[in-house]
Amino acid sequence: MCALGIVLLLSIIAVCSPMIAGTKPIVCKYKGNLYFPCLSYFNADWENPVFHKDKFRKRYPKNLKEKDPESWAIWPLVFQDPYRPVRDNEWEERPGNPYSEGSPSRLNLFGTSKGVDVFASMVHGTRIALLVGFVSTGIAAAIGVMVGAIAGYFGGWVDIIISRIIELVMCVPSIVLILALMALIEKPNIWIMMAILGLTSWTGMARLTRAEFLKLKESEFVAAAKSIGAGRFRIMFRHILPNALAPIMVPIVFGIAAAIKVEAGLSLLGFGAPPPNPSWGTTLNAGMTNYTEWWQIVFPGIAIFITILAYNLIGEGLQEATDPRLADPKD
Amino acid sequence: MAGYLIRRVLLGLLTLLLITMAVYGLIRMMPGDPLATDAAMMNPEKMPSAEDLQRMKAVYGLDKSVPEAYIHWLGNMFQGDFGSSFAEKKPVLDVIGARVVNTLKLTVPSLVLAYLFAIPIGLFSTARSGKADERLVGVVLYMLYAIPSFIAALFLQLLFAVKLEGTAFELPLMGIKGDEYESLTDVQKAWDQLSHMILPVISFTYVSLAYYSRFIKANMEEVIRQDYIRTAKAKGLGPVRIMIHHAFRNTLIPFVTLLGLSLPALLGGAIILEQVFNWPGMGQLYFRSILTRDYPVIMGLTLALSVLTLLGQLFADMLYAFVDPRISYK
Repeated sequence: MCALGIVLLLSIIAVCSPMIAGTKPIVCKYKGNLYFPCLSYFNADWENPVFHKDKFRKRYPKNLKEKDPESWAIWPLVFQDPYRPVRDNEWEERPGNPYSEGSPSRLNLFGTSKGVDVFASMVHGTRIALLVGFVSTGIAAAIGVMVGAIAGYFGGWVDIIISRIIELVMCVPSIVLILALMALIEKPNIWIMMAILGLTSWTGMARLTRAEFLKLKESEFVAAAKSIGAGRFRIMFRHILPNALAPIMVPIVFGIAAAIKVEAGLSLLGFGAPPPNPSWGTTLNAGMTNYTEWWQIVFPGIAIFITILAYNLIGEGLQEATDPRLADPKD
Repeated sequence: MAGYLIRRVLLGLLTLLLITMAVYGLIRMMPGDPLATDAAMMNPEKMPSAEDLQRMKAVYGLDKSVPEAYIHWLGNMFQGDFGSSFAEKKPVLDVIGARVVNTLKLTVPSLVLAYLFAIPIGLFSTARSGKADERLVGVVLYMLYAIPSFIAALFLQLLFAVKLEGTAFELPLMGIKGDEYESLTDVQKAWDQLSHMILPVISFTYVSLAYYSRFIKANMEEVIRQDYIRTAKAKGLGPVRIMIHHAFRNTLIPFVTLLGLSLPALLGGAIILEQVFNWPGMGQLYFRSILTRDYPVIMGLTLALSVLTLLGQLFADMLYAFVDPRISYK
């Protein structure tokens, strides 16, 4: 339950990230109209053209006051930007971020990384971390279960061909495959990365599904289903899959955690979502070049740890709930 | 059995052919070539002339089309010639050979340590399932499993190399040996090497330790609910005998798969960890050769790792028949 709470909290942080940390107002009244400039953190195109026309240049506090004294705005909880350092007096009487040695302080809760506030990057990085986990594992699970089920159930030539394909993909270590695929793309973005992660991590699930199907298709309940004339796909997905699900659930949920881990690792290598995209791994990468600025390692490290821990716990809970064999009281 | 083996080997060769073909195609499709990533080429004063560039391309075999170049590589490979590294200007086998030992230094101790601890922990957790001490062990393993190895590595570095700097517990931040290694006595040399190994080996070991012991426990939990365990209990066998003879043996099949799968990791090392520790092993070589588009090295490494993976799978399948008399290859 606690783990679910953590993932829920992370999701809320991810959705509300521009309201927690940002330099754009959540709501503002400007020249008689209401605007929501903070939404442009989700998608740069959502910034209302009026601010572009009035040459705000992403400096809201001063411009709002100067260009429309009547304006008002509700600001994010923390006035920091995940993409750029905040300069002196951007907010009245407020000093800018130190470029180096910006240890955690009242203004920079988690310190700064080359002038960019670590807290803001991490809050916005939550979005990427959660998305990567869900999307890439979803892709991987869909491919893996489908391929494994077909190979295991049909056996014979189908199995041999699919097994060879699985072997083929498995032979190349996934991180190498990911790096090679990432190197292929001139302008990688986070979506391409998720797709690549998904396309390279289904083999384990496929093998496991195949093994389970091989085992279960000989069992009596399958013979019984066949004898009453159930179709192949009905047997595969209605009869065998639920029984095979418990062992398959383990790699799937750990897969979410693994995807988050790989994303952080790739960003650590400098292969991740290209800067200035805020990602936990990118901050780690900056920390690796300067070990004395410990806050760039400790805070993202703890965030990744908590996220992965929460997913693992959920996986465990799911596994216990879905496995009828574990429901029996122990004798 | 022999027929099965021959079939597997032939299939393995086909797999290798397909993999090398796919990887060769993949790396040649990457934007940029080795000449463009060479630092010396970036210098505008030393920009090579068009003819020079053409000549160099011919030397590196880049003037050929992709299929042609692949067949060329394949032909040379069968004669034992894997080409020369573009970056280091040395034969690929020498470049890889120099790295293998470094990686083995990390992976062999960590694999042994992981298995040495994982089996007892897994058995212990099953035996004491649900009790307070098992829960504690479970929680600790959980925590460990949730920290990616590279983050653990960074934390360890922060603790032992930065925070404890100047104390007796100080360990080197990265690298494989100290700066003044050559001037040390033999004992000091041994310590120098060992101290550089400690942090990477810990980082390598603990994730697999957590994973293996949880894996064993999960499988054991399933097995000890079987009827034959109840029968064994009813016969009056002791808990130790039931655990090891009747239960653990039946979890060996998935365990053997795991063993087979860990073989390539033994040589492949870990790209991220080796990068974090600046460890001159295979993983780092792979990473660098992808960055510098060092085609012959990428191909050599891919081939080596693929052969190992296939061997690991074959080895696992052979072991199946050994640990489970129900399985036979006829």
